[in-house]
Amino acid sequence: MDLLPNADQAEITSSVDAFLTAEFPRATVRELIASTDPVDRERWKRCAGLGWFGLGLPEEDGGVGYGVTEEALLFREIGRHLTPGPLLATVLGARVAAAAGATRAAAEILDGHSVVGLAEPAGTDGSARVLDGVSADLVLLLGPDGATLTERAGWATLTPVGCVDPASRLAHGRPGAAAVVARVETEKAAAIRERGVVLTAAMLVGLIEATRDMSTRYACQREQFGRPIGTFQAVKHRCADMAVRAEAAYSLTVLAALLVDRGHPDAALHVAAAKALTGVHAVANAADNIQNHGGIGVTAEHDAHLYLKRAHVLATLFGSRPEHLRAVLAAPGAEQVRDS
Amino acid sequence: MDLDYTHAELDFREEVRTWLAANTPRDTRPPGGQELRAWECAWQRRQFDAGWAGVSWPREYGGRGLSLIELMIWYEEYARAGAPPATMMFVGLNHGGPTLIARADEQQKAYHLPRILRGDVVWCQGFSEPGAGSDLASLRTRAVIDGDELVVTGQKIWTSNADVAEWQELLVRTDPDAPRHKGITWVICDMRAPGIEVRPIETLSGGAHFCEVFYDEVRIPLPNVVGRINDGWSVAMSTLSFERGTAFLASQVELARTVEDLIDVARERTGPDGRRPAIADDEIAHRLATARAEVAALRAMTYAAVSRAARADQPGPEASLLRVFYSELYQRVAALALDVVGAEILDASNTWVSGYLGSFQATIAAGTKDIQRNIIGERVLGLPR
Repeated sequence: MDLLPNADQAEITSSVDAFLTAEFPRATVRELIASTDPVDRERWKRCAGLGWFGLGLPEEDGGVGYGVTEEALLFREIGRHLTPGPLLATVLGARVAAAAGATRAAAEILDGHSVVGLAEPAGTDGSARVLDGVSADLVLLLGPDGATLTERAGWATLTPVGCVDPASRLAHGRPGAAAVVARVETEKAAAIRERGVVLTAAMLVGLIEATRDMSTRYACQREQFGRPIGTFQAVKHRCADMAVRAEAAYSLTVLAALLVDRGHPDAALHVAAAKALTGVHAVANAADNIQNHGGIGVTAEHDAHLYLKRAHVLATLFGSRPEHLRAVLAAPGAEQVRDS
Repeated sequence: MDLDYTHAELDFREEVRTWLAANTPRDTRPPGGQELRAWECAWQRRQFDAGWAGVSWPREYGGRGLSLIELMIWYEEYARAGAPPATMMFVGLNHGGPTLIARADEQQKAYHLPRILRGDVVWCQGFSEPGAGSDLASLRTRAVIDGDELVVTGQKIWTSNADVAEWQELLVRTDPDAPRHKGITWVICDMRAPGIEVRPIETLSGGAHFCEVFYDEVRIPLPNVVGRINDGWSVAMSTLSFERGTAFLASQVELARTVEDLIDVARERTGPDGRRPAIADDEIAHRLATARAEVAALRAMTYAAVSRAARADQPGPEASLLRVFYSELYQRVAALALDVVGAEILDASNTWVSGYLGSFQATIAAGTKDIQRNIIGERVLGLPR
């Protein structure tokens, strides 16, 4: 039993961090946010070249062969760096294609040729909310009855809507007659969605840690009344609360990922708990981070608002808090406390 | 990162589970006083006879010498079996004993350690004073060397079980002119010595295990000093870091059990609408689900803390992250219970009520939540003092 990263896992974290720092510095992220298409195809292919889109796929499916635990470490860094683009939908899309035997589609996703947007049902009338799908090649529709990978070009009506998060591209539409590239149902589809929940929680962990670190740096540097504001207990204790939230979110998400990788009966409870808790903690940390920065924290020029808005998007995707809390309560208690 | 246990660890869990299932006391635990003392000493003796006393202590001092992972398994199974939390035995097993192991001379160890393990004696802790709580280093209880004795005069407070204890780990000021941390001495005090007066303090939850202890020229032999005269602060610190680490493992599982019990209660009792079970109430369901999710996080944080301690050898300041999260969650769960049981809370004998009243000390004992946040801010995050 060890919840700390081993050498391989530490290497994943440090190499992803180094790559994102070099390839997606904040100025680049800002440019991508301001452009019509937040996906830079050249950079996208370099991400693919590092094996990101198949990190958790078995080697026989063209992947790297790690588990969801290692994928969670990748997405934690993506969250921390506010990297734009449908990276998660693309990872899940490759999985759907591989599971359905659509080997060519899978290969094109894995090599960075096909970008996959994400669609979730919006209501019960067949319409969908599409994230980062307008310029994608494929759209992954995660419905209650299955996971369907479709040709984006076939989506007749994709109406762009301004998204609360400027780094995300939102549209409403209907799959209509869009060609189906691959489809999985029942347990396989549920496993794809569960993976999406864990990896969304992991991105939220990245946001929670990034805002903690941003506030800590600022509290050390910013001086008022002749001393760093971090010496004041009101600020210090707010930063301490941010660190407590980060520790809870990180530990729980890692535990949830490990349980999923093992196919453990406690997985469902911990995955739902992780999504519910990371969503709340990410919004709380983002809000505290704005408060800690004072006036500059509410400007568009400062990055603080980007973390808040991304937190709300990720907290909403793959099931909102009420949905996951219902699942938490419906699950049997954890093995640790069940009667033997 | 992995959740795997070795075959030896799995066998160990089975051994622990089997022994606890057969030996955990099933008779009613007395509420306090000499009856509880006798009951706890008997349970300690039973553990000792079977080789389960001092699970974290090194084997050379009669302990079980468990690894950190084995220790976690022991505490998980201990709480899961519903075995009683160590209260009167706590200071001896988790503070005094480990400090003696780390810093005492061979004669002190040979005399005291076996008695603690066997459950022959109760230890208490004489650290806090009316003027020295969170700021422990400002303590003023005075000790003057007179021949081969220390002569102690002053007052301690919040001393759990002082009224039933034989021994006390006592911090006294031996050099009032030295810098605060440099003039303190850690000494073993015989609670039956002349000049000691113990007055129980009734708490808001009605229990009275807290005491004030008054010292009027109490004479303690110099060989009872642990470490050197005026070096007591560093001796005391080895105790505090121990408390923030492994001694905490069982509490996590106990809280998890409490939340499961509360969910069961909410399924059985009628809720606020007078018709449906309490769990059908949206607000109660939401709070129960949140508590269960947070208990899952607490479990994960405990595993992370154990993993960290296994690599670092002793708990670092990160233990305060767990402490803050645990103590505040504990209070939220205690308060939630009141809403689940409804009007039953008017009955003072209701166990959920005493749990609630007792929960207020969770964010005060062993370092207030404010001190814990200072530790996190300064020692985990590196914020300026």
